[in-house]
Amino acid sequence: MVFTLFTLSERSTGLGGGLHWGTFAVYAAIGILVIVRGLITVAVTRYHLMGGELRIDSGLLQKRSKRIRLNRVQSVDVLEPLAARIFGLAEVKVTTAGSERSAVQLRYLALSVAQALRADLLGRSTGVGNGAVEAPERPLIVVPHGRLVGAVLLEMVSWRLLLLAIGPVLTAVGQQNGHGATIGVDIAVFAGFAIVLGHAAWQRVNSLWEFTVSESPDGLRIRHGLLSTNRLTMPPGRIQAILIHQPLSWRPLGWVQVRMNVAGYGGATSTKSTMLIPVTNRAFAESLVGWVLGGIELNAIPLTPPPGRAALRAPLWWRAELAGSDGRVFVVHHGLLSRTVDVVPHARTQSVRLTAGPFERALGLATMHLDSTQGPVKTRAAHRDGAEARAMLDMQVLRAQEARHHGSTPAAFGLLLPR
Amino acid sequence: MEGPFAAPAEHSWTRVSPRLARMRRTILVLIGIPVIVGISVGLSFVNTLIGVGAGIIVVALVVAAWFSIGRNLRSWGYVERDEDLLVTHGAMFKKLTIVPYGRMQLVDVEAGPIERSFGLVSVKLHTAAATTDAKVCGLTPDHAGALRDRLTALGEAHAAGL
Repeated sequence: MVFTLFTLSERSTGLGGGLHWGTFAVYAAIGILVIVRGLITVAVTRYHLMGGELRIDSGLLQKRSKRIRLNRVQSVDVLEPLAARIFGLAEVKVTTAGSERSAVQLRYLALSVAQALRADLLGRSTGVGNGAVEAPERPLIVVPHGRLVGAVLLEMVSWRLLLLAIGPVLTAVGQQNGHGATIGVDIAVFAGFAIVLGHAAWQRVNSLWEFTVSESPDGLRIRHGLLSTNRLTMPPGRIQAILIHQPLSWRPLGWVQVRMNVAGYGGATSTKSTMLIPVTNRAFAESLVGWVLGGIELNAIPLTPPPGRAALRAPLWWRAELAGSDGRVFVVHHGLLSRTVDVVPHARTQSVRLTAGPFERALGLATMHLDSTQGPVKTRAAHRDGAEARAMLDMQVLRAQEARHHGSTPAAFGLLLPR
Repeated sequence: MEGPFAAPAEHSWTRVSPRLARMRRTILVLIGIPVIVGISVGLSFVNTLIGVGAGIIVVALVVAAWFSIGRNLRSWGYVERDEDLLVTHGAMFKKLTIVPYGRMQLVDVEAGPIERSFGLVSVKLHTAAATTDAKVCGLTPDHAGALRDRLTALGEAHAAGL
C-alpha cells in the first residue's frame, strides 16, 4: 500500500513538476496511514499468560499467534522509548534464546502494568509461581554521572580525534602555500567532524545515564538511559560469557568496563544490551564478575603466556596473551595497550575449536577458541604451543562435559554480596 | 604437523568421499581452461611474450590448485565419540572443531545443484554460537542421512539447554 503510494507520488512529481500540493497530500496520507496502522497493530494485539506459556495473538487480517515457553526466557526488559515515555507508556520485551528476531515486544502498556507483567513473567520463568509481585531489589552500583561523562570522553581519545585535526591541517597547508581562501571549507570540515564525534558521545552518555545494576531474587537488574530508559532483568545463569575491558586512556585512572554475552541479544545490534557496567574500578568489576558467575576468584586462576617463539607470530603483544582455567571458568587476558580479560564458564561453552595457519604451524603453534553465543566476548587462547593447545582443548571438552552433567550454575542469586 | 590435530586416542578419522575432489577438480578445469585461454590470447595482442608468460603462470596456478584439492580432500575427517563430534579440515589453515551433542541446536543437510550432480551432500551442525564451524563436506547421501539421524538422536539424548 505504502509502496504504491510512493511510486505514484514519484511519478506525479516527475511528470508535472508543479504538483507540490498533490505530493504533500500523498505524503500526509502516508503519514496518517502509518499512524493508523500502528494504532490498529496495538489495538488488535492480545497477550495471554497461561501457566508456563506466553501467547501473543496479533494481526487484523492475517492472524498470527506466537507461543513462548517461559522457562526458555533469557531476559525480560522494560523499555521506555522517549515518545512512549512522554505518555507514561512502556514496552515489555521478552528475549528467548536464538536470534534477535525471536524476541517479542509487547507495546505499549502503562509503566506500572509493564512492571507487574515483568515480575509475573520472571516469576513464571524461574519457577517461583504465577502472579509473582515485583521482587525487592538492592542496588549494587550506580555509575556516577561525572564518571560516566569522563569515561565516555576518554574512551573517544583514540585515532578518531585525528579527524578533528584535518580541518586545521588543511588551513595550515593552505597558509603555507599562500592561498588561505579555503578557510571556510576547513572550518566546515572541522565542525562536521566535531558534530559527528559530539553526537556519538552524546548518544553514549544518553543511553548509559544513571546506569544501575541491582540484584534481586529473580535475577540481575540493569537500568539505564536519560531520555529513553531501559530496564533489563536477567534470570540467574543466563550470562554466557563476560569480559572486563580497559581502554588505553582509562588505564591511568584504573577504570574498566564490563560487558557480557547473553543468548538472544544479537552481537552487533547495540552495545547497551550487552553492557553490564559501563565504567567502574577494577576491584569492583572483578568481584562482581566473580559473584555473577557463582563465586569465582578471578585472580586465583593460574595463567600462562604462550611460548617465547610466539614472538615471531605476534611480535610485541604475545606477552599480553595469557590463558588459564580452573574447574569452573576459562580465562584469557589479551591486549598490550587496551586490555581485556575474557571469562567463560565451562558450563556455558558451546563448542571448542583449534586452528593453525601456515605461519603458526611452521612455529609449532596453535590457537584454541571457545565458541559462545553472539556478543562482545570472543575467547581464544592465541599462539599456544601445539601440544599444549591440544591438551587445553581436550581438558576443556572434559570440563564442559562435567559442567553440563552437573549443571554447575547458581540456581538463584543469594544475597551474598561483594563489598 | 598432524600433532595437535590428530584423531583422539582410540579413534581414527572417518574420511569423506573422493568424489568431493572430483567435483572440485571438474569445476577447476571448467573455469581454469577458459581463463588460461582468455588471458594468454588476450595478452598476446599486447605482446606475445607477455601472453605466453601469463599463460604459463596461470597453468602453474591451476596445476597447484589441482594438487591442493587433493591435499584438502585428505584433510577432511570426522569422528563420532560418545559425547561429541569432532570435525577437522584444512591443509594450509588447519581446523579442528569439537561439538558436544548436548549443545546441538539443529543439524542441516545441504546439497547444492553441483554437489547433487556428483552425488554429494554436506552435513552442518549448529549450536547457539554462530562461530561454531562444524560442517562435514563430501558425504554420500546415504552416509549423510545416517549421520544426521544418529546426530539428532544423540542430540536429544544429551540435550543440555543453553
